[in-house]
Amino acid sequence: MQGFLGVDVGSVSTNLAMLDADGGVISYVYLRTQGQPIMAVQQGLMELEAKLDGSVDVIGVGTTGSARYLTSVVVGGDIVKNEITAHAVAAGHVVPGVRVVLEIGGQDSKIIFLRDGIVVDFAMNTVCAAGTGSFLDHQSARLGIPIEDFGRYALGAEKGALIAGRCSVFAESDMVHKQQVGYKLEEIIYGLCQALVRNYLNNLAKGRDLAGPIAFQGGVAANAGMKKAFEEAINQEVQVPEHFSVMGAIGAALLAKEEKLLEPGPSAFKGFGAAKIDYRTSSFACGGCENNCEIIKIVVDDETLARWGGRCGKWEVDIIRRQHLEPIGADCSKCG
Amino acid sequence: MTDGFKVGYPQALLYYKYFPLWETFFNRLGVEVVLSGPTNKALLNLGTVEAENELCLPVKVFYGHLLALADKVDAIFIPRMVSVEKSAYTCPKFMGLPDMARATETRLPPIMDPTINWKLGWRQYVKTIIELGSQFTDNKAKILGAYHAGVQSLHQYQDKIRAGATPIDIIESKEAPRAGVADLRIGLAGHPYNIYDKYISMNLIKRLREMGTDVVTAEMIPHSELEKESQTLPKHLFWTFEREVVGTVFHWSRRNSVDGIIYVLAFPCGPDSLIQSLLEHEMRRERSTVPMMSLVIDEHSAEGGFLTRIEAFVDMLSRKKKLAGRVAN
Amino acid sequence: MLMTFPQMGHVEQLIGDILERLDIDYMPPPRTTAKTLALGTKHAPEFSCLPLKLNIGNFIEAMEAGADTLLMAGGKGPCRFGYYAELEGRVLRDAGYDFTMVTIEPPSMGIAKFVRPIKRISGKSTRQIWRALKEGFPKARGFDMLEKRVLETRCFELKLGETTKAHKEAMATLVKAKTPAEVEGAIEAGMRLIDAVPCDREQPVLKIGIVGEFFILLEPFVNFDIEEWLGNRGVLVSRSVYITDWIGPTSKNPVAGTSDAELTELARPYLGHFVGGEGVPSVAHTMLYANEGFDGVVHMFPFTCMPDTIAKAIIPRVSRDYDIPVIHFTIDEQTGKAGVVTRLEAFVDLLVSRRRAKRAVNG
Repeated sequence: MQGFLGVDVGSVSTNLAMLDADGGVISYVYLRTQGQPIMAVQQGLMELEAKLDGSVDVIGVGTTGSARYLTSVVVGGDIVKNEITAHAVAAGHVVPGVRVVLEIGGQDSKIIFLRDGIVVDFAMNTVCAAGTGSFLDHQSARLGIPIEDFGRYALGAEKGALIAGRCSVFAESDMVHKQQVGYKLEEIIYGLCQALVRNYLNNLAKGRDLAGPIAFQGGVAANAGMKKAFEEAINQEVQVPEHFSVMGAIGAALLAKEEKLLEPGPSAFKGFGAAKIDYRTSSFACGGCENNCEIIKIVVDDETLARWGGRCGKWEVDIIRRQHLEPIGADCSKCG
Repeated sequence: MTDGFKVGYPQALLYYKYFPLWETFFNRLGVEVVLSGPTNKALLNLGTVEAENELCLPVKVFYGHLLALADKVDAIFIPRMVSVEKSAYTCPKFMGLPDMARATETRLPPIMDPTINWKLGWRQYVKTIIELGSQFTDNKAKILGAYHAGVQSLHQYQDKIRAGATPIDIIESKEAPRAGVADLRIGLAGHPYNIYDKYISMNLIKRLREMGTDVVTAEMIPHSELEKESQTLPKHLFWTFEREVVGTVFHWSRRNSVDGIIYVLAFPCGPDSLIQSLLEHEMRRERSTVPMMSLVIDEHSAEGGFLTRIEAFVDMLSRKKKLAGRVAN
Repeated sequence: MLMTFPQMGHVEQLIGDILERLDIDYMPPPRTTAKTLALGTKHAPEFSCLPLKLNIGNFIEAMEAGADTLLMAGGKGPCRFGYYAELEGRVLRDAGYDFTMVTIEPPSMGIAKFVRPIKRISGKSTRQIWRALKEGFPKARGFDMLEKRVLETRCFELKLGETTKAHKEAMATLVKAKTPAEVEGAIEAGMRLIDAVPCDREQPVLKIGIVGEFFILLEPFVNFDIEEWLGNRGVLVSRSVYITDWIGPTSKNPVAGTSDAELTELARPYLGHFVGGEGVPSVAHTMLYANEGFDGVVHMFPFTCMPDTIAKAIIPRVSRDYDIPVIHFTIDEQTGKAGVVTRLEAFVDLLVSRRRAKRAVNG
């Protein structure tokens, strides 16, 4: 069977998904990045290989996430895409007619608006923790309740405690206050979900039309309390796709499929053996200008595979490309 | 067209400075003025949801007041306040306020936005007033008469404030507290819409009075006095309301006429952030002995922390005063 | 006396040229780096905008390298910039530096106010100053015109980096030019150099207009080299502000192509009065780019900037009415390149799929 591999490496989690030629999920892996993206990718490749047991011939690879360029070098990628596009493509594939994608990850969150499968608007929050999964992680540690149990607790509440403050720090002091005045744990946990939803919507959805179908994806979608809080806040049904936690990887695989359509040819995939290659990273000061940027390079057996990290992009020449402006599959001399 | 015509007046921003003028003006022309009511939690939430996130707190509050009026009135009055004197502007936000209101997601009634710009001279100003009034009557004398009555109302209002009442006291028709009875006198500096809006300021004036202090504000000092003080800056400040803040703080600190100054500023006010560091520098340079505390308020401000800071400041002032008294005796 | 001034785009070449014509010794600050930003953030008021923080960082670095006279522009509001020289002087004195501050107020505040400090510092007559400005201005404009040509060329280049290389060479030649004839020759030669970059001008490209606050748009350090970044990805970039449009009496023939009066008139239905800074131009240029068939608009400005925050509250309506996607970037010292690049990539993807969809419909 032929397959397309998608790899999504973010600062919190690393996900791999293998799709068949029709875009169906054959298998996937979800693991923690723990600050070591190369190790996480290699670990993921090994786990995926074990699951597939030689049944799939990889003919296209896409990478996404904050470590997308590094990952592309490690696995041998055919296309590198940002996570906003990847999530939109995946949602468009899995949820028919989707118009809004709510995505909350550990360190960032985004909202994407689509019309007829095309992204028409998006917003991304990378600065304020109060609108991301780390908000709940943080309070979970404080309450001593594992984050996995948050959904169960939240659904046990009739209504949530109103936790004020649009900033984690203020929310935390207000949560402590609500505990002191005797709110039940369930109400506090559901209140936290509502606070996250409020912050998220206020940061990202302002002035935008939230007409469904709506997909809710990303690691935080595992929390059923969040789905409920979203539905209450926007008064509409919110769908959580089956593979909500690896949608970025699914999107990357779908983009690889599209790329192979535009640029047919053998995949750059290095094979599952890439898990065993001894990649080393090191850094040096560029010295090309006053900025003296720290440049990271990735090396195998004294051979430098890639360098990046400068402000000006002079070390990253190989990733720059032209845009395909013609409709895919259109009869056109420009796109061949 | 004046029959039953209702003009909405957002009870925010420059309301605290000019409301009596416009209320009288419209009433004299047979137009009913509908207020949005005092700021409360619901209004603030409405405003923060509708307004662009990076706008300052008082403008977000203003959006809340706008929405509160949306289905209650025939038009909303948002004068474009460009300048109220020849040599300075108000604040860029006031200059673009009617446009920001028109760009809201929620549909609003028509906006009446006469351009108030004293830089263009009094002739243009009179023209603007007549144009505004012409929507309700063709009688120019009546329009000018209404405006004149408005100015008188404004002066009465200003006189009451100068005598020691705050706009809140006047709006709530309360007696002004007798000045000079308390041990401590606190100068409260900052924009009227930050210090007189009870919700935004978390009832700061009342709380300070309850702590047994006299509260004085810029409006209680003759305007010429403020002007003289602010003109000591080497470069003319081109925002009227910031010049008032600077003049006020200089007036108090140079005369030692208050025990302490609380400067209330809203996040992220552009001019205030600049004035705050300017004042801190100047007071240090002049070796002022009047303590000044800056209180930054935003929609996250928690009442607990706010109160603690004020209490600590007042305690510190009263201890300082007692110690000074003991040394003197 | 050794004079210095803040960094911003190619202002170093521009001011340097005028100071040379006035025989004033000067030393530009080291180019803005992360260290400059750290210095500025440490000393500047917390909620001041990024340009002020970088000005302070530039001044400190220049003074540590020996400069003792700071040149700064003034202004009459309502944007905060007009009071920055006052504030910067105080912040730097509080930090223990000793220097002379020279503030040049705009000629609109009175020719005397404009000329007096230059006379004092240079010992030149009004006539000599006028001549230096008159001869220096076409050269300054030349730098802007070269930049504009580069933006129109880079997206078509066959080999990455060739346009940037040609631009550097053209700049170096123009920097050396002094007489009006030399300046004119250098500009022409520079244009030829850029035009000679091997290109495929037939290939379809995306078109993105950049609007927003002056400093952020001109200084690559704070806009993450957005023009080059987009150009390298085959995007034709148009920038809405140029230095000489801002400082010079050029409203008759602005580099960006549209005069202030035209912009004010255009923006009127959405923003009916000037609000200082680039408030009105940001709104008006968004409309212009839509009218000119651009695919999208990038709006960039510093966090807490008043005029462009007003524009940000209004542009979404323009974007809807004119059916042109706009992405906003509010820049402060915490803005990271990774976040900006991810959003820019997604924005380019969005524009590409819009273009494809339009092509598919229109055939």
